[in-house]
Formats: sequence, C-alpha cells, structure tokens
Amino acid sequence: MSRKDDPFAQEGRSGLVGWGRDHGRVVREAMHHISARLATSLIVWLLVGIALALPAGLYLLQLNLADVGSDWDGRPGLSVYFKVDTPEAELRALAQQLRAEPQVQEVEETSSTQALAAFHAHTGLSDALELLEENPLPASLRAMLVSGATVPDLERLAAIAGKASGVQEVVVEKTWLERVSDITTVVSRLSGVLAVLFGVGALLVTATSVRLAIEARLEELKVQTLVGATERQLRRPFLYFGAIYGAGGALVALMLLSMTLLVVETPLSRLAGSYGATLEFTGFDPAFLLVMLCTGAGLGVAGALVAARQRLHDLEVL
Amino acid sequence: MGHIEMHGVTKRFSSGQEALKEVDVSFEAGSMCFLTGHSGAGKSTFLKLLLRLDTPTRGQILVNGKNVTNLKKSRLPFYRRNIGAVFQDHHLLAGRSVFDNVAVPLRVIGMRERDVGRRVRAALSRVSLLEKERLLPAHLSTGEQQRVGIARAVVNRPKILLADEPTGNLDPELSRDIMALFEQFNQVGTTVIVASHDRELIEGMGKRIIELSGGRVVRDRLLESEVLLDESADLMGSDVA
Repeated sequence: MSRKDDPFAQEGRSGLVGWGRDHGRVVREAMHHISARLATSLIVWLLVGIALALPAGLYLLQLNLADVGSDWDGRPGLSVYFKVDTPEAELRALAQQLRAEPQVQEVEETSSTQALAAFHAHTGLSDALELLEENPLPASLRAMLVSGATVPDLERLAAIAGKASGVQEVVVEKTWLERVSDITTVVSRLSGVLAVLFGVGALLVTATSVRLAIEARLEELKVQTLVGATERQLRRPFLYFGAIYGAGGALVALMLLSMTLLVVETPLSRLAGSYGATLEFTGFDPAFLLVMLCTGAGLGVAGALVAARQRLHDLEVL
Repeated sequence: MGHIEMHGVTKRFSSGQEALKEVDVSFEAGSMCFLTGHSGAGKSTFLKLLLRLDTPTRGQILVNGKNVTNLKKSRLPFYRRNIGAVFQDHHLLAGRSVFDNVAVPLRVIGMRERDVGRRVRAALSRVSLLEKERLLPAHLSTGEQQRVGIARAVVNRPKILLADEPTGNLDPELSRDIMALFEQFNQVGTTVIVASHDRELIEGMGKRIIELSGGRVVRDRLLESEVLLDESADLMGSDVA
C-alpha cells in the first residue's frame, strides 16, 4: 500500500512547524479566553495568589530569622568566672586556649583589679568596698563566638573552660541563639506544611477553573475529536490556562508579599533596633520572583492536567 | 484510500442490546452508498464504528486492508483525519464564525493560516456559502448550517465521507440539494456513505442502498439491481431473437 493510500499517513502534515503553529494559536486563544472572562480570571488569580503568599511569606520569615540568629549583636558567648585569688597566669592561659579555637572570635580578660575598678566607676558603692580587707571580685573572661557558631560549639567550649584550673563558674549565654533557632525551626516546618497544603489548594483552584473552561468548550472538544485532534491537542489550551492562572496567581502573591513587607517594615526595624540589630530583609530577590512564578505556573499546569485528564477521558463525542 | 470492508461485525451494548449483528459488507473506494432502515435499525452505530467512536464487540473493520478495530488510541486521531463526518444536528460551534467552523480540521493538522483561508473559501464556495463566512451559525438557516457542516467535513479532502441523517431537518428541495452535494464529492473519488431513513429521496439517487433492520443487513440494492440488469439483458436478448 502506498503512503498516499495509508489511512494513518496524514500525521506527517502536523510536523514540528505545525506543532509550533498550533501552540502559537492556542496561546492566543487562551489569552483571549482569559481576557474575555476577566472578572472570573481575577478571582482565580487572587485565590491562587493568597494560597501561594502564605507559605512564601513564611519561607521569607524563616530565611530572615536564620540571618538574625547569626547577626545578632548579643551573639552567644561564654562568661568564665575564676575563684578569688586565682593567679592571673591561669586567666591568661585559658584566654589563650580559647583564642586558639576557630569558633571563638574574641576573648576579653578582666582581672580582679580591673573588675574592682569597673565596680568603682559604675556603682556608688566604692566606699563600702574600701571597708573590705581584700578584693572580693573574681577575675573573669568573656569569649565571643564567631557568627555561624552553633549551640554544640558553645557547649564544647564551655566544657573546655569548665575543666580549666581555677575556674569557679562558666555561664553559657545561649538563650537568644536557642530561641531564634527554635523559632526558625518552627517557622521552617510550618512553612513546609503550609506550602504543601496551600500548594494543593492552588492546584485545586486551577483544576476547578480549568474544569469550568473545559465544560464551556465541550462542544468544540467534541468537534475537534471528530476531525482528528490528538489528546495532547485537546489538552493543550487548558494547560496554557493553568499556566496563566498559576503564573498570574504567583504575581498576585508577590504583590501581596511586597505590600505586607511595606506594612511591617517600620515596626520590625524598630524591634530589631531594640536588640541592637539592623533590619535588612533578604530573600525577596529576582531568584525568589522567578521561583515563585515557576512554582505558580507549575502548580497551574498540574491542576489543569488533573482536570483535563479527568474530563477528557470521559468525553462522549456523540 | 476509501475501500472499506466489514466482516462479521457485531455490536452489543452493556445493556445487552445488539445494535449490529454479523454485518458483512464492503464498499469500493470511490463508491457511494445509502444506509437505510427504521429508527434503531443500527445505522448510527454502523457509522460510529466506521468513525471508530466505538469498537465492535466482534468482527473486523478493514479500511484499505488495515484493521481499524484494534487501532491504538494514540493512532485514532490520524485515522479520523481521513474521514469527514456530517450529522443531522450539524455540531457547529455557536460562538465561532462560519469560516472558523470550517477551519477546525485544517487547524487541527497545523496548516498555515494562509492555506487555511484558501482551503476554507474553496470549501465554502462548493457549498455556495462564500459570502457568509463571517456570520455566526445562528444567523444561518437550517439548510445553510447543514452546508457549513458539509464544508467542514470535506475541507480536509477526506477519502471517506460519512453522513448521519444529513437531511433530517430539511425540506425535500433542500434535501435534494444536499444529496447532490454528496454526489459531487463522490464524483471526485470520495467514498460516501449516507445514513438516511428518507426512502423516497434515496431511491431517486440511483445508488447502492443497504437496508438495516434489527442490526442485520436485510437488503443490498446494488446486488438486486445487478441481478435485475442481468435479467433485463436476457429479456432484451430474447426479444432480439
């Protein structure tokens, strides 16, 4: 049988160029369909946008809390108090040992004499101290850790200091680090869970919208099936709907996030300032915008795929 | 393409009803044939099976020697691109112009818009609707709508043209016009199969008529006419003698 006589030979006419042409036409039609139903499309964009904004906002919060943990002025450190009358050599030896640790950024030594002088300078109780026969204040040192130091680092250094000769007490200043770390963990997990939940929500919103679009074009789909449209061709416009709904929703989410940042920026700066930190909100950059747009479009396409597969599978042509 | 054979084709629905029973027929490429019979005789099922909108419970349908009953789902669209189909209720897209309705099969195969325009206008010209290409189907008469349906069915130059009660809603004069159109397409080599219950109309066409009843072929008028022709030749011979 010649190719001309082959009942299945016309597929070649579609070809790559035809495929590209079909995509172009479908995109135009999808844009036209969406713009013709602008009110409905706006509602879909808003719903998808809200669904994406919350997990994305939490992600940004978690990112910035992690930064706060490392940049906080009250960075974790150790305060080591020596027994009274401990020789200064032991103080210096421990200070030297701690300075050699890579996690330690700075060590401040305070001899008992310096402590007394500071006491004199900062309190009004110098007369009372003069009544004592000897200096009651111990020597001490304070080790500040480098940024990025972890709680286990802090605990290891505290153990080293605790074993040193003449040490009375080691005070570990890890409260802030731990709190921030705990909050970051909670926010991170919460944003993970919410990302899944709201992602499914966004997917369902686009799936429902696409399903409605399919119902509105059912007669056309039937005719296209009759004249030889492939399943992919039938599905294609709806995948574009999904992508446009999803990407549009992501844009709305980005707008909502930027508006939220504008609203909370001043009080957050004030709060950060009260802890000696400067607020520099990070993460809302071009890469984040791109990821958001791709995620939105991807969720939209996935939703459209679900709806199209389900509906087109049951399509009764005649 | 256009040669069709049906061998022992039976279609039983899930309800148990048999729409076609052991149907054995063949259609030569480029032939024209009418399917007739009462409502429920199996005419629409016959056409649906040819279009592969449904599959037979038993039997084979061969199109140009290829069995289309076990065609993969992914291959079906390419098979259907060779078949034009016309229906009683037109299946026109209400929101699209006449031009866009006729252009659907060409856009499905990814034809360039310039060629689409040329082919659509040629098809509309064949059905005398060229001047109405911008109108919506609702602005046309029933007969004109049917002609748009025919233009859409033939615009892709199919090898086979199937029509299910294409004159069902039309008056006798319009019906004859529509049938004349099918005849024209047949004359250029298209295999045409038309299902119609209008006996008077199809009897006058002088074409093969297959009558279905209860899902069986009960009469094939081409064979009868051939027999009659033989008998008349004998009679003429005896007269001469």
